[in-house]
Amino acid sequence: MDSDLHEVTLKINGDTRHLKVPSNWTLNDALRNRLDLTGTKRACDYGGCGSCTVLMDGVDVYSCSILAVEAQGKEILTIEALGNGASPHPLQKTFALSYAAQCGWCTPGMIMSAKALLDHNPNPSEDEVRVALSGVLCRCTGYSSIIQAVLDAARVMRGEA
Amino acid sequence: VSAEFSTVGKSAAPIYGMEKATGVLCFPADVNLPDMLWMKILRSPHAHAKILDVDTSAAREIPGVAAILTHRDVPRVLFGPYQNEIYPLDEEVRFVGDTVAAVAAEDWNVAEEATRAIRVSYQALPAILDPEAGIKSGAPDAVLHYPESHEIKPGDIRPEQLGTYGNIIGLRAGGPTVVNERGDVEKALHQSDAVVERCFRQSEVNAVSHEPRACVAMFQEGQCTLWCSVQDPYRLQDSVARVLKLPMEAVRIVATNLGGAFGVKVTGRFAVLCALLARQTGRPVKIWFTREEESLDSHNRSALTHYVKAGANRDGALTAIKVRTFLDNGYWPYGGLGQNIAFAISTRPVDLYHRCPNVKWEVFAVRTNHPSTGPYRGRADAESHFPIESIMDELAAAIRMDPIEFRLKNRLREGDDLCSAPKKVVSTVWVEEAARKGAETIGWERRDSLANLNSGACKKGMGMAMVIHSCGSNPAGTSEAEVTVDETGRIALFSGTADQGSEQQTTLRQMVAEVLGVSLDDVGGSNADTSTCPFDSGPFSSRTVYATGIAATRAAQDARKKLLERASMFLDEAIEELDLGKKLVWTRSNPSKRVPLGELAKLAGGAISGNGVHNGKDDRLFAYGFAAAFAEVEVDVETGAVEVTRLVSSHDVGRAINPMIVEGQILGGAAQGLGYALSEGFCFDARTGTALNQWFLDLRTPSILDVPDIEPVIVELGEPTHPFGAKGCSEISYVGVAPAIVNAIFHATGARITELPMTPDVVLRALQEMKRRGA
Repeated sequence: MDSDLHEVTLKINGDTRHLKVPSNWTLNDALRNRLDLTGTKRACDYGGCGSCTVLMDGVDVYSCSILAVEAQGKEILTIEALGNGASPHPLQKTFALSYAAQCGWCTPGMIMSAKALLDHNPNPSEDEVRVALSGVLCRCTGYSSIIQAVLDAARVMRGEA
Repeated sequence: VSAEFSTVGKSAAPIYGMEKATGVLCFPADVNLPDMLWMKILRSPHAHAKILDVDTSAAREIPGVAAILTHRDVPRVLFGPYQNEIYPLDEEVRFVGDTVAAVAAEDWNVAEEATRAIRVSYQALPAILDPEAGIKSGAPDAVLHYPESHEIKPGDIRPEQLGTYGNIIGLRAGGPTVVNERGDVEKALHQSDAVVERCFRQSEVNAVSHEPRACVAMFQEGQCTLWCSVQDPYRLQDSVARVLKLPMEAVRIVATNLGGAFGVKVTGRFAVLCALLARQTGRPVKIWFTREEESLDSHNRSALTHYVKAGANRDGALTAIKVRTFLDNGYWPYGGLGQNIAFAISTRPVDLYHRCPNVKWEVFAVRTNHPSTGPYRGRADAESHFPIESIMDELAAAIRMDPIEFRLKNRLREGDDLCSAPKKVVSTVWVEEAARKGAETIGWERRDSLANLNSGACKKGMGMAMVIHSCGSNPAGTSEAEVTVDETGRIALFSGTADQGSEQQTTLRQMVAEVLGVSLDDVGGSNADTSTCPFDSGPFSSRTVYATGIAATRAAQDARKKLLERASMFLDEAIEELDLGKKLVWTRSNPSKRVPLGELAKLAGGAISGNGVHNGKDDRLFAYGFAAAFAEVEVDVETGAVEVTRLVSSHDVGRAINPMIVEGQILGGAAQGLGYALSEGFCFDARTGTALNQWFLDLRTPSILDVPDIEPVIVELGEPTHPFGAKGCSEISYVGVAPAIVNAIFHATGARITELPMTPDVVLRALQEMKRRGA
């Protein structure tokens, strides 16, 4: 078993972390089971739902579909880095207050995907939000509260609200 | 319900919202304990087989394997989510994916490897994979050896009687599981002005909760704790205690937050085996389903076939409803919840159209070798309203009557006897108000002129459906709640109902805050932890706001009464002279004569607590929820593609305790209903019973690009049996969508779709069939 362990250096939420992980472990496995970053969820294991979305070098990716060893040296950002209850990111605030997070399972992935959008397009149209978030499925909300939460957060981030 | 409230009726921010948005909310899958083992399940590749031998010797040799359980290693004690009818492991496997063995190992890779190293010798048995074939004479039995149950309820088949009754769950040899009959249906059909006859087919569907089930079991000083994704923690507590032969108080289930449940996250083998492995190894054990397991080892909405014939007269009277329903009930030896679902299918739509004098509705719930079926959002009503609302629409067209007026003419009224709930009387029926308000919202009057907007292959149409669903009035359900006030004046609600995304703690605490005159921020509490909360049947059949809401309100009222009694002694004033609010009790005539709630708790020895119960059996009066769904569609008659351009979901909610949450539940339910209508179907190979699309994308749940802006409509006319006039609405929002869309397609094209999901090929086939008949 030990012979199968690989050393990998990950830059997670600004920290550099050295880990030993089995070769078949995904980035999601490493986040949840080595780094105790359980805010990132898993719902399908193969890039079919987006609940596990994190940012890798600024791009929203499925952490279940990237091996931990593939993330070597990349900048990884997870929901934990965005903010906390005392000082939430505008997206976290609008999602929390407007019931855009119902069961909460897709929420971290949804918010990370929305952050990737707003980072390069601070003033998206509703259609642009829909397309940008189409890689993350939600079973609870019917999506309209999510779209509204992203548009509201964008307004806050532009200093308009 | 004219009273003005300060907290009830307000769109308060969801209590768990920020924890969900920051990722810190702890779900069972997020529990990682020191020294924890991982569990994996070996699953059956056969739809039906007897296990002749299991050889675990090679698996046990693998370094890191801590324990393996086969059917020989577990107590032969019956348990189950609906009734006690399965063993933790059995020598007979009854569907592809059934549990054969469980392994605990140092990590999940090793556990997985060990399951593959277990050698099982199966004797394959004939399998029932089609309900209609399963009830033919000479059909093999879907279950060969019945667990010996001492709890079989009247109406269940007894093992020794099998063979006589084949695979039908129910009462009589060769007869249906249930029959709902009144009047003379054949005579009425013969005499009706219009008669419509159709066969409807609905695919099995999976709830597709995003959180795959997880369980972590730990033993410490004789106490067994399980963090588990279940909606029925008290049932699981009973099951674990039963199988492990522990006293109930030695088993604690924590199920505070679930990543979606929709009715199907109930007590199962995975959790009981996890507890057994934790005891055997003396270490914490964790199982977390893969998506494949979450799909297979769940409780789906049944695949159904309905043969329907119904009649109406030109004056708009519905004269007869005759239905024969075949329901794939899955592998349950004693039927699971099949009998209950069959009963609701055959009665509830009949109650909605109570004026219809002649009815015969037979349901054959058939035991098969498919995964379990059980109550998924809109239980029984999503199953039955698709055929009934389709037929109502076609009858209305046949007698040239507006579909809304035809429905309303035949609808249930307050005080009517109910065949779905004998001896009960429904107290409010705001279905007409929901239908009228929905019609106004979508612009029903535009319906007749929509065809003028058709262009090329694109045909426009509008349709509606009217629906009924339980709203917590399940007579079998019980909710208890406790409200405490501590020395600091802090108020806490303890209710054993799990939050699966409906944020019911927010809604329940709003009711408690209202009774005690405090702000929502002053109310804390705990949910779904059997060690801190009194009993609750769980969040099923949209019962939380109604039934648990009544219990929580009663608990708050009880606490209020005790606070006032103590304040009366302390202030030396009559109770009638006192008022309570803002964490104080004061004298009306002299508000400065007052005492803080915390002080009263201190005087009482540290805390004052109130208790409240709602028992569904007790009250003759009870509540049903009603709704009307409206859809506007564009059908491409060349490709069969259907686009739902507008969807209005109008609901009799009694009173919205938290309008934002009510609207959120309506939108979410309608979006799931849209999936049921257009894209979702859980399919099995007809020869082997193997699931064909257990993976997430292949289950085809709607994406953000598929769901239009759904328009929720809330009708708030009250419900006198609830202290704040509320009814549940989270499930019924699912029910009307598919029939509203099918009726809109009929309006747009003249083609009657009789199959769910209405994928383009199904629509195209119906269009071609219509053309062929017309030609």
